[in-house]
Amino acid sequence: MLHAVEAYLRHTPQGEFLRTAKWGWPIFESLHFLGMSLLLGTVGVFDLRLLGFARRIPIAALHRLIPIGISGFFINFATGLCFISATPDQYLFNKAFYWKVTFITIAGVNVMIFYARTFRRLLETPPDIAPPLAARLAGGVSLLAWIGVMSAGRLLTFFRP
Amino acid sequence: MEPFFVWLEATSLSTWLRESPSLWAFPFVLILHTVGLAFFVGTNVAWDVRVLGFSLGIPLEALRRYFRVMWAGFWINAFSGVLLLIAYPTKALTNPLFYAKLALIAFGIVLAFRIRREVSGLAARAAAPPMARMLAAVSLACWVAVIFAGRLLAYTCTRLTVDFQC
Repeated sequence: MLHAVEAYLRHTPQGEFLRTAKWGWPIFESLHFLGMSLLLGTVGVFDLRLLGFARRIPIAALHRLIPIGISGFFINFATGLCFISATPDQYLFNKAFYWKVTFITIAGVNVMIFYARTFRRLLETPPDIAPPLAARLAGGVSLLAWIGVMSAGRLLTFFRP
Repeated sequence: MEPFFVWLEATSLSTWLRESPSLWAFPFVLILHTVGLAFFVGTNVAWDVRVLGFSLGIPLEALRRYFRVMWAGFWINAFSGVLLLIAYPTKALTNPLFYAKLALIAFGIVLAFRIRREVSGLAARAAAPPMARMLAAVSLACWVAVIFAGRLLAYTCTRLTVDFQC
């Protein structure tokens, strides 16, 4: 099954491009780091606010930065898919890759719970007040999950098959 | 420089960082450098986009608190960066791009201070003056350049250590 996925990905145009274009890989890697900075600069900054940092910033105003973080996530999703397509064996048989996917999933589930249960209530609470426990929990889990994603990403090269 | 490279690469710290199979050696230093980058550049991005006029509801005065996070990121990266340099001094110091990266970081920090001065005294929800906006746009471009320079270091080096080519 994994071998079939590997064979399929290897022959995709984006995989072929990244394997052959001379500066393709370094440029895509730089974009991947850029997307990461956009994500942590907005979502990470928002998470810290949820934890109670800089309470004088209204939640709604800081939340306007989130689309920048989402665009960072999509830059990374796209470039990440290209890396996997170029050398699928380096990811599909690499345990650091599965840690990374796990941390991304934790961040995703966490943010869904946050929007479903906490966000609207939070918008009604005035600034300067300590955020409720649910908000602090969401911020803490998100921050740790993204640090986990970055760490696992960095470990990919050390767990190559 | 050559005798300095020979000496530094022979020290036990340099050797341990380079050759230890422990994930707490080179891999952990790389993780620190990456997480530090995300917070250092990330907080600069948040600050720059607010100055550019994105989400004026964020009070400038309150956003200043994030300078602490920015400096935390900076010091994590200064520390981990020095360790990376100790591990592979020849690799970094023989690559002109490494000096360009350091210069760009210095430029980015100077810009951050300048922008902060340009908007000091403004009302919390005020739009920043044109000069501050222009500097914020330059700052964003500068951080993009820092990231590209840093990432490309791995692809533009000519010597890995005194004895090995890249």
